[in-house]
Amino acid sequence: MALPAEFLARIETALPAGAIVREPEQLKTYECDGLTGHRTLPALVVLPSSTTEVQAVVRACHAAGIPFVARGAGTGLSGGALPVADGIVISLARMDRILELDLDSGRAVVEPGVTNLAVSAAVLGDGFYYAPDPSSQQVCTIGGNVAENSGGAHCLKYGFTVNHVTALEVVLPDGELVELGGEGLDQPGPDLLGAFVGSEGTLGIATRITLRLLRRPEAVRTLLAGFPSTDAAGAAVSGIVAAGILPAAVEMMDRLTIEAAEAAVHPGYPDAGAVLIVELDGATAQVEEDLESVLELCRDAGAEEIRVAADDAERALLWKGRKAAFAAMGRVAANYYVQDGVVPRTKLPAVLRRISELEGEFGLRVGNVFHAGDGNLHPLVLYDERNAGEAERAQLLAERILEACVDAGGSITGEHGVGSDKACSMPLLFGPDDLEAMQRLRRAFDPDGLANPGKIFPTPRLCGEVPGPYRAHPLERAGLAERF
Amino acid sequence: MPSVSEPASVREAAAALREAAASRHCVSINRGGGDVCLSTRRLDRIVEHEAGDLTATVEAGIRLSALAAELAPHRQMLALDPPGDPTVGACVAANLSGPRRHRYGTARDLVLGVTVVLADGTVVSSGGKVVKNVAGYDLGKLLCGSLGKLGLIARVSLRLHPRPPAARTLVVPVESASGAQHAAAAVHRSTLVPSAVDLLWPGGLALLLEGSERAAAAELMRAEELLGGAEDGEIWRAVAERQLASKGRTSFPPGKLEAVLEAHPQALVRVGAGVAYLPGPAPDPRPEAVRRLAERIRSEFDPTSVLV
Repeated sequence: MALPAEFLARIETALPAGAIVREPEQLKTYECDGLTGHRTLPALVVLPSSTTEVQAVVRACHAAGIPFVARGAGTGLSGGALPVADGIVISLARMDRILELDLDSGRAVVEPGVTNLAVSAAVLGDGFYYAPDPSSQQVCTIGGNVAENSGGAHCLKYGFTVNHVTALEVVLPDGELVELGGEGLDQPGPDLLGAFVGSEGTLGIATRITLRLLRRPEAVRTLLAGFPSTDAAGAAVSGIVAAGILPAAVEMMDRLTIEAAEAAVHPGYPDAGAVLIVELDGATAQVEEDLESVLELCRDAGAEEIRVAADDAERALLWKGRKAAFAAMGRVAANYYVQDGVVPRTKLPAVLRRISELEGEFGLRVGNVFHAGDGNLHPLVLYDERNAGEAERAQLLAERILEACVDAGGSITGEHGVGSDKACSMPLLFGPDDLEAMQRLRRAFDPDGLANPGKIFPTPRLCGEVPGPYRAHPLERAGLAERF
Repeated sequence: MPSVSEPASVREAAAALREAAASRHCVSINRGGGDVCLSTRRLDRIVEHEAGDLTATVEAGIRLSALAAELAPHRQMLALDPPGDPTVGACVAANLSGPRRHRYGTARDLVLGVTVVLADGTVVSSGGKVVKNVAGYDLGKLLCGSLGKLGLIARVSLRLHPRPPAARTLVVPVESASGAQHAAAAVHRSTLVPSAVDLLWPGGLALLLEGSERAAAAELMRAEELLGGAEDGEIWRAVAERQLASKGRTSFPPGKLEAVLEAHPQALVRVGAGVAYLPGPAPDPRPEAVRRLAERIRSEFDPTSVLV
């Protein structure tokens, strides 16, 4: 179906010709995000350069009932930026200016297309940085981070995007402009800013984002410890938590991912069943004391080899293998699927055992790399699409892992988002009443459902008439909540 | 006279709200007003405390002191320290926080999941009990500051923190607004990691330095070298009293402290957060468009205006 002529005329009036993409070949660039298995060709792509232009486009969409999907760098892994057929994509790539740096207040005001790393780079010389650090931080944009409430390796201590955004200028789905949050924190009334961050583009488009900047810590110490097994490494993590230490990051990789990382980027990891990377930061006295404790706890848990980075170069090398882990899987498998599940940290050993059982059942290998401190797993399901049925088996195995996470009291996504990928898995976590309550919020922002439709919420069209099996919310199953 | 309802379970709370909605009664939560006053006084249990996960799920009527008593033997804490020993539900609904927000944030940063009874008696959950979770809208954050207008907060899952073994306090006298701005900027630009930075205005700037015995002492020494001043842990009592007595809250970009002090002859200021507690009421700074949006949300959650 072609877009209505009247709508196109409005778009052409609002934007310069160079900001409108309509050739099918060019549109293909936008047909998917980092979840490349889901593809839809949009009817049109626009690249506004200002809030006014975004508003004009959204108003035109609202008037004509055309759905729109906002897009940052397209690095998302859950299909959050998957276009809607007969709808348009609004790329924020050209709104890439840092508008204001106010170091006295610890604030940066940026447009949504600014990359995550560019914010830190702009203030590093003054001793500040922007804390959330998703692995894609060189390319992913702040607008996308806001939509997905992105985390990163250091969110164990520093939290997620939502903890670092203090204000948002938002174009609502009817084109109205609102400022959520404000010059100061603690605005009266419900926390609309907090509700907007992580809403995956379904409540509007953030066009101006105020971020909190942090002072770089006095001391940073990073160590890598090799253990005979993931169980032993897990015991070390439990010990660290029990000792009252809150590291900046605690990352774990299992044997398969260590081997892949070693083959790909040669970080010099030990030959071990599991490695832990522990990073401590803060005031020197506390960091040095905690480092001694962590070293002892790792040795107690059976660490066979421990390396403490002596300088920034060595630290970068320790992190190199971890950061390359996903891509390194290309060395040991033709294809892989990245899963994103969460379990209560204490349930990690049990869930890892379950994943190992599933490997046997499905005859596929799974590499495990995860944020051990906060229980966020990224199992990498390896497969070869050239073998008939293997891609489908991998997908099924990945879903089984999610079920294991939910059964353990966890969640279906820790940082990649629901998007189009997991909308049909939402009933694993939430019942109809829970989802309906979320829809109430949606309706208040977007009564016509034009902003990024088909994401987050399961629909019969998406998931078949029978939504996935409802399996009681973790709070409910733990006897913590009842349902009537 | 309004009737008082004190449900002892989420089920009872849901029944009370369903009944009120059916008989077209207005309901207030934990304060006067309406036909029915719903109290969370008896919804005060700790449902679960997973020490190894640093998480807890509690009923919303539990007081902070009762939760702290449960957590203390595990050397853990809920890092919310508003004065007056309010309930967890009040911390969420009224967005209450204390000095330690400097380091740990406010309720919005610590709530992992909620169970809410909506105005029509429907019980809904959002979030979960894990510290990292982006599945669906975060209604827990929406409820922060909602003042009981979106539903009854029945249960809350919370992120906990290890309790630092030692705390030291440095108090730096400040004579003028510009002096206060100067001292606050020095802290902001330093690598000190205070748990709290409060300004009793006029009077002194207080830094709470926490960690191991050795680390807290080292931080105190560094802070003293930077700012002068003297150790005085008693100031936190005055801070709490000043906050309790305040009638209004205003917020500002932390770099504009001096202007705020010049405008307000007396205040308790969380200088890192940019929040000042004032003796008198403060105006609502939200633009009209935001208030309209908040009202649309309220009317989606409570279309017949049961909650007052």
